[in-house]
Amino acid sequence: MDLKGKSAIITGGSLGIGASIAIELARAGANVAINYRKHDTEAKEVAKKIEKLGKKCLVIKADVTSYNDAEVMFNQVKKEFGGLDLLVCNAGINKDRVIWKMSEKDWDNVINVNLKGYFIYNKLASEHFKEQRSGKIVNITSINGLRGKFGQTNYSASKGGIISLTKALAKEVGKFNVNVNAVAPGMVMTEMAKNIPPEFLQKAVDETVLGRIATVEDVANVVIFLCSENARHITGEVIKVDGGQYI
Amino acid sequence: MPFKYFGKTNFTPYTKVDKFADYLQKGKLMGTKCKKCGEIYFPPRADCLKCMDDTFEWIEFSGKGTLNSYTTIHAAPKGFDDIAPYTIGIVDLKEGGRLLAWIGDIPKDEIKNDMPVKVVPRIFEEIPEIKLYYTIEKP
Amino acid sequence: MKVGIVGIGHGKFGNRSDATVQELTFEPFKQAIEDAKNLGREDIDALVVGSVPEYHMQRSLPGVVAEYVGMNPKSVWLTEAACASGSAAIRTAYMSIKSGMHDIVAVIGVQKMRELSTEDILALMGRVGDVQWESIFGTTFPGYYALYANRHMHEFGTTKEQMALVAVKNHYYGSMNPYAFFQKEVSKERVMGSDEVASPVRVFDCCANADGAACVIMTNEKLAKKFNDTPIWLEGMGSASAQMSLLRRPNLVEIPSAVEAGKQAFEQAKVKPSDIQVADVHDCFTIAEIMAYENLGFCERGKGGKYIEEKQSYIGGKTPVNVDGGLKAKGHPVGATGVSMTTEIVKQLRGEAGKRQVTGAEIGLTHNVGGIGQYTFVQILRR
Repeated sequence: MDLKGKSAIITGGSLGIGASIAIELARAGANVAINYRKHDTEAKEVAKKIEKLGKKCLVIKADVTSYNDAEVMFNQVKKEFGGLDLLVCNAGINKDRVIWKMSEKDWDNVINVNLKGYFIYNKLASEHFKEQRSGKIVNITSINGLRGKFGQTNYSASKGGIISLTKALAKEVGKFNVNVNAVAPGMVMTEMAKNIPPEFLQKAVDETVLGRIATVEDVANVVIFLCSENARHITGEVIKVDGGQYI
Repeated sequence: MPFKYFGKTNFTPYTKVDKFADYLQKGKLMGTKCKKCGEIYFPPRADCLKCMDDTFEWIEFSGKGTLNSYTTIHAAPKGFDDIAPYTIGIVDLKEGGRLLAWIGDIPKDEIKNDMPVKVVPRIFEEIPEIKLYYTIEKP
Repeated sequence: MKVGIVGIGHGKFGNRSDATVQELTFEPFKQAIEDAKNLGREDIDALVVGSVPEYHMQRSLPGVVAEYVGMNPKSVWLTEAACASGSAAIRTAYMSIKSGMHDIVAVIGVQKMRELSTEDILALMGRVGDVQWESIFGTTFPGYYALYANRHMHEFGTTKEQMALVAVKNHYYGSMNPYAFFQKEVSKERVMGSDEVASPVRVFDCCANADGAACVIMTNEKLAKKFNDTPIWLEGMGSASAQMSLLRRPNLVEIPSAVEAGKQAFEQAKVKPSDIQVADVHDCFTIAEIMAYENLGFCERGKGGKYIEEKQSYIGGKTPVNVDGGLKAKGHPVGATGVSMTTEIVKQLRGEAGKRQVTGAEIGLTHNVGGIGQYTFVQILRR
């Protein structure tokens, strides 16, 4: 997949899926800008890996719920890379609670980071892509946005919301030659996942039909495909990367 | 890309020069050039008026030109009453030919005959359907 | 062999909610037969109808008209050239007589426009440019002439006031014409104070859509004196076309088909513009009359505004123009106008124009433009 000459923004690019997406985009030829909230060491590590691949990497500290931070990031990227062609929204948190134990703050935070954050970056990217009559947006959602998950009324709501946002936006920007899609991973083996108790991990493996859990590259590869010209006729679509965990 | 996407209301969905709409959606203003005698046309036409040859190629226009005449329409025809009053202008294009379009963001008191202008390809943004047009702006 | 007009008829123009389109034609047709002498309806060989079909629910107008006035089973056909349909019809009648195919031909120009709403008519008439590249921006017929007016003002200094003076003149004469739609005079202030339709053209710069019909009966030189002591001869028949779209015309200050048709007519009739003693020109908009003075050579290019200012187109001026009220006061039932103009000039050359008579007029001219100048027919008539 050739993304030579393209410039990309990935939110939450310091860890896990985000970091892998950033690296794979660079491997495909793009200059990459990542933002992070607190993991600055990890973010710098990602930048090093990207520079080793011969591409540019901008590392920006940002709170994805801040419209202002986002505007600053977009302006910086456009200035330093000379343009913007790709947006991958990936930054997300979870705060699992049964609803009767879930506080308003638990709800608000998850919705703000996972859904409002995506709105902010999708809006800024759309404004730019619409003027230049080209661009691609990939929103990372989850199979728990397609189905409900115990303890995740907040998380599932936010991930489900991302899917509807993706579809509605695809209808608005299609005429400007902009594609908007979502990738819905199932269980992915990330640093975060390593903290999950083994019996829950096994349960997830048993749910899949392939008998395995995704690596971060499994997800990144699909994102790269959606960012490439090979996917030019795909828009408003949700692609699961879950080994058959939820069919 | 059907030509029917060109205009607020389109009256001619089928035409030999239907690729014009394709280019317009990509942000390009294209005219035609006769392959035999080189005559250039805007608006585009498939059959050469001069030598009657029917082979042509597409050439990109810069959109630059001068404003020949203009008028503000108050009594609008059916289908355009929702946007009245609007100002239409005729532009003599730099590469040749003429174009008629709405005047866009030029303030009323700055519109003058013979002023330099630029024609900008546009898409109606606030509706789900694809509708293409262009406007006359300051260069 | 000359072709002459031996009978004329004219109906009231205006809001004819009292008649269908075919019923409108009966009155002028009957008038024309009675105006001629020794002529019966059965003597007429053919009927040509000048009209623009798109305004009517009734399909195939010549059919209903011929049936209603009683021309069956004679030859009948339609000629259309937008607002110049009436003159186009006269031209085909002329051709059929000159070729010897027919001897006596009636021409009826007719139109019913007021059954459509204003927005519908604006949309219909706005499609008289290039619908592929222009109508999509909401062009209108007044808008097209406004583009001409704007440029004419820019290049020659023509003023809105000069345009208004055309309306004042034509309403002045219209008040003396019992067939005109509008029979009241208007002041310059009233014209200039009216709402803008398409800048700089105002409501009172525009002719009104109207219903109406007019008729002429034509024949060859051999038979003419049998039907009228004073046949009026069609000596110059000019006809020309110009590009449909303003985008493809050489400039926006003159109607090229009018210049060309005028040249043809003057050449055929062997007269100069200054020989014309009375004229009816196509004042669909006041700027159109100003351009007509120039395009026909009544005055120099660019001096049309001055011409009206100096009252040269009034009776007593260099060339009286539209002393029957023009399209402005009569109204403009598009198919009927060309025939209406012809009946007026015939009246003038016969000395039958009463209060509006141009004394001693022997050579007259009609100038009938279709659309925004796609067609112009110029006729020179002589006593």
